[in-house]
Amino acid sequence: MASATRQNKYKPPKQPISKRLVRYWPLYVMLIPCVVYYALLCYVPMAGSVLAFKDYSFKKGIWGSPWVGFDYFKTFFMSYDAPRLIKNTLTIGVIKCILEFPFAIILALMLNEILNMKFKKVAQTITYLPHFLSSVIIVTMIQKILAPNVGILNQAISALGGDGSTFFLMEADYFYTILFSMDLWRNIGWDSIIYLAAISSVDTALYEAAEMDGCNKLKRMWHITLPGIRGTIGLLFIMGVGGLLSSGVEQMWLLRTPGNMSLADTLDVYVVRVGLQGGQFGYATAIGLIQGLVGLILVVTCNKICKKMTEVSLW
Amino acid sequence: MSTTKTHHNKIKVNRVDRLIQFIIYLIIILLCLMILLPCLNVLVLSFNDGKDAARGGIWFWPREFTLDNFKEVFHDGSIMDAYGISIARTVIGTFLSLLITTMAGFALKQKDLPGNKLLTVLITFTMLFGGGMIPTYIQYNNLHLLNSFWVYVVPSLVSVTYLLMVRTFFEGIPDSLEESAKLDGCGYFKVYTTIMLPLSKPVIAVVGLYTAVNHWNDWFAGAFYMNDPSKWPVQTVLQNMLTKAMSAQQEITSVSQALAQGAKSTTTDSLKMAAVVVTTVPILCIYPFIQKYFAQGAMIGAVKG
Repeated sequence: MASATRQNKYKPPKQPISKRLVRYWPLYVMLIPCVVYYALLCYVPMAGSVLAFKDYSFKKGIWGSPWVGFDYFKTFFMSYDAPRLIKNTLTIGVIKCILEFPFAIILALMLNEILNMKFKKVAQTITYLPHFLSSVIIVTMIQKILAPNVGILNQAISALGGDGSTFFLMEADYFYTILFSMDLWRNIGWDSIIYLAAISSVDTALYEAAEMDGCNKLKRMWHITLPGIRGTIGLLFIMGVGGLLSSGVEQMWLLRTPGNMSLADTLDVYVVRVGLQGGQFGYATAIGLIQGLVGLILVVTCNKICKKMTEVSLW
Repeated sequence: MSTTKTHHNKIKVNRVDRLIQFIIYLIIILLCLMILLPCLNVLVLSFNDGKDAARGGIWFWPREFTLDNFKEVFHDGSIMDAYGISIARTVIGTFLSLLITTMAGFALKQKDLPGNKLLTVLITFTMLFGGGMIPTYIQYNNLHLLNSFWVYVVPSLVSVTYLLMVRTFFEGIPDSLEESAKLDGCGYFKVYTTIMLPLSKPVIAVVGLYTAVNHWNDWFAGAFYMNDPSKWPVQTVLQNMLTKAMSAQQEITSVSQALAQGAKSTTTDSLKMAAVVVTTVPILCIYPFIQKYFAQGAMIGAVKG
């Protein structure tokens, strides 16, 4: 018995590096594709960001092109577009990262209170489903449902005696509402999974004790469940904040119509428009670089603040 | 005295609890209806006569049932070709992703592998900061990926999240299995194929199915990295239909347009609905299989955040 415990505690000393390098050679072979992928498709483009300071010419490539310093950054910030683009991007970022954030937590809290397992399973199956539909499909559906006169929303409005001819997608006034509901519709169920998993690890004895003390369900949720999952909430919030400035080009690109163009034009869309479509590579890279750096700074700062306040941290 | 008070408390709590429970059920039922009804409406529209649908008034049951929309979609060669491309990229892309991800996960699981820490940091960093769209585009061009089928596959070969999921799962497999296999004279490749892969079916299923769904749903690569419309995947073809409709404001004129199309019973709109249904069905078919692994996947993912 004694010798067995000693054996368990015994750890072989680390071999010297040279020996491990030889011993592990097959593992390095297996790592090659992955390393090549990250080198070629992530780190080379990262280095390619110097394009933001260069006048790109197709013939000379990134490294041969002449330097222009901070010209693109100046042009962007002096331009007529900049304030509008930044405002749009921030508004949409706040809608997606902060306004939508609590809903998945609320759904998880509600699902957790459901005792009928069959009902719970059906509800989960249905709410997770939209996550698996592509943005093209979702926007096509929205276009149909919100269509003037024949869409079901307008039909419902007419049936209730209202004016059923509103072209929702063409009117800037409805843009934020559509965006918010569409994004929530798609993600609420999926995002709740992780909170549900966290809730399941909260100590159930606490609930029984609270019930004895006369706490109703709402109070129990507020005083036990929420504090119990605050670590998970913190982590997901930090990760979400990084996306504040890059709220995804796909949705915006699809939701853009001549009517809501003034609001749907974000930095992401702008990069695609002037870069991929307009061919102004250096200028578009500069804007992308600003987005990337701001996102990085936001995550790092938010992580620091969270670490100080709640001891929750990404790294 | 105190026991009666506790008793009293409990009855009050129970009454409040039942009310809350009722409200929760109600909200969740409403939420489910809000998700299902729009889908149902689109499904019904795809089975309804196009010209008839343009008059409006279709809710959750077809008025003039027809299969014409689907017939036309399947007769349209371009959509069927696009279907083939989507299937090819999903199968090839998922297979290669799984191969590369599991091999890398297996190697990175070895804690005392020299360079492990550095590699992990470098790989995770790409989650926080990337080269941006334009330098990436130029790199695709340099690698001759643009306008080739491989632009659908190569850019999404490895994902940090899935790699960390796989590695975490591998770490949970007892070392003793590996050690005993090595004593029997198995090399690392043998251990990978005969022990690691067979024991990792759950994580391979999760990662594989997520990757497959991402491939199936992607339209962006087709729209921006592929000039030749005959090589577009089906989502890009749909996106093209959608964008055209949006800019032409077809919705306003759909009735007059439907009338102008003469004898044909289908309209661009009804065809679009049929295409949406046809494109979504494969996802709905695999959905029940993925669902089994949802919670598991979320838990593995949550460990490394």
